[in-house]
Amino acid sequence: MRAVAGIGLRAQHLDQVVRERPAIGFLEIHAENYLLPSPALASVENLRVDYPFSIHAVGLSLGSAEGLDEHHLERVATLVRRLQPNLVSDHLSWSVVGGRYLNDLLPLPYTEEALDVVARNVDRVQSALGRQLSIENPSCYLAFAHSTLSEPEFLAELARRTGCGLLLDANNVHVTAHNLRLDPNAWLETLPGAAITQYHLAGYAVNDADGEPILIDDHGSPVREAVWSLFGRMLHRFGPRPTLIEWDTDIPGLPVLLAEAAQAQAVLRQGEERGARAA
Amino acid sequence: MAPALRDLQKAFAAQLLGSGITIDTALPVAGDSISAAARLRVHRHHVLTSLSKALAGTYVTVERLVGEDYFKGLARSFITNELPEGPVLAEYGAAFPAFLERHPVVGQLPYLPDVARLDWALNMAFYSPTGSRLTRDHLARIPVDDLPLQCIELAAGTTLICSAYPLDRIWAATQPDAAEEPVDIGAAGVRLLVFRRPDDAGFVVLEEGEAALVAALHSSSTLEQAAVAATAANPDFDLSTAFSRVLGLGVLLHCSKDGSVTG
Repeated sequence: MRAVAGIGLRAQHLDQVVRERPAIGFLEIHAENYLLPSPALASVENLRVDYPFSIHAVGLSLGSAEGLDEHHLERVATLVRRLQPNLVSDHLSWSVVGGRYLNDLLPLPYTEEALDVVARNVDRVQSALGRQLSIENPSCYLAFAHSTLSEPEFLAELARRTGCGLLLDANNVHVTAHNLRLDPNAWLETLPGAAITQYHLAGYAVNDADGEPILIDDHGSPVREAVWSLFGRMLHRFGPRPTLIEWDTDIPGLPVLLAEAAQAQAVLRQGEERGARAA
Repeated sequence: MAPALRDLQKAFAAQLLGSGITIDTALPVAGDSISAAARLRVHRHHVLTSLSKALAGTYVTVERLVGEDYFKGLARSFITNELPEGPVLAEYGAAFPAFLERHPVVGQLPYLPDVARLDWALNMAFYSPTGSRLTRDHLARIPVDDLPLQCIELAAGTTLICSAYPLDRIWAATQPDAAEEPVDIGAAGVRLLVFRRPDDAGFVVLEEGEAALVAALHSSSTLEQAAVAATAANPDFDLSTAFSRVLGLGVLLHCSKDGSVTG
């Protein structure tokens, strides 16, 4: 797929996109919002004729030690077969324990045991889907004292073992690096560029924790300057990839998202031209 | 010794849902100038607010009746005891009406559990397939003598709600464009049929005989048995008129003798 910019398709914009069919490189949907029959699913199937799609799951819980919810996996696989997206992804996180779903992308300790668990679950998903799954780096608010690998080392080894793709979220790198006192440039250095299949961009909020700022990946504002800058460095290092603008809280009008996507597209174009000159 | 991942995840969930957050060897979260407890609170806050929002998205009318802040309190008590069983949030909260039955709020708003049942039924109807339905053309192909023995089912997402309160008027009064007229809570109760319409979900008010007909069809009675039940509920029941109305709503499926269901 060409390195175009797309937007996350949210319920508020669905009717307008169906009606106006604006120029967008691709659309992304959250799998869990479209697993039941509904008027919204019918609209998405209608849009699939005109737009490439990405399916972004948030509930596979790839890091759950108890394994995957096979019923949920089957429903996701059915949606993937129906929509034939260009990319299917979920996160390096967990959300299910004891069969109960916590509705958050919860952090993993980066240990050999966790790597075995995630690799086994990713293998199972890829086998059920019959295609590659891309894994997104999470936004982290805490780290576990007994981690033995860095996050990019963990992702690199996961990609090597399972053949999964990596979905590199620039906002999440920035948020994690700030919250865990890491250097985002050093974080990028360990990542295997060939495995990267897509970039994500979004806004974050700044909250207070014990009197200090902690960054929250709330997808509720425009992409911040620091994240655009990191995105530029990612393009320089890894080259252009399809890039998504995500907005999930305080969702503005569609033109705001389209303007953000246009800005991402302009940065991608510069990256492509730079790549062409270098070649 | 480092905890096994499975134990760590159990401890993490327990900390998120408990009243306080304690860090120990079972949950070795690293803290610095931002403490481990403050870091865990980010996740606790997200779990509770996101699930509360999901419930508010389903129980729209309940939230309008009690107000946003009170609803958040209700939702939080519900969430800590009833986590979702899966990640499809449209399926979360089936037990909320029963939770409200046991909550002190029913002392002041006794109709709230029934309002919640209506919200849930509308949610279920919205997420139901459309597909083909029984039509007059289908019926015309069945010999007249065979009609009484026909088994007719309700389409998925169709729910009959019988309430001792004027639920339709309570619901209408909470709509954004509603006129500010008081609803007499002491007025007669209603029977609502909630169902999937082509582009959304909605409901109609049924009279007593119609409701008895639908309830009988729902419990797999034949058309003849359903008509008997309806007449018992309302001696003035007119099968032809009532059946025609329910058929026109597009909520019926025909179940043939071999058990297959067709529209």
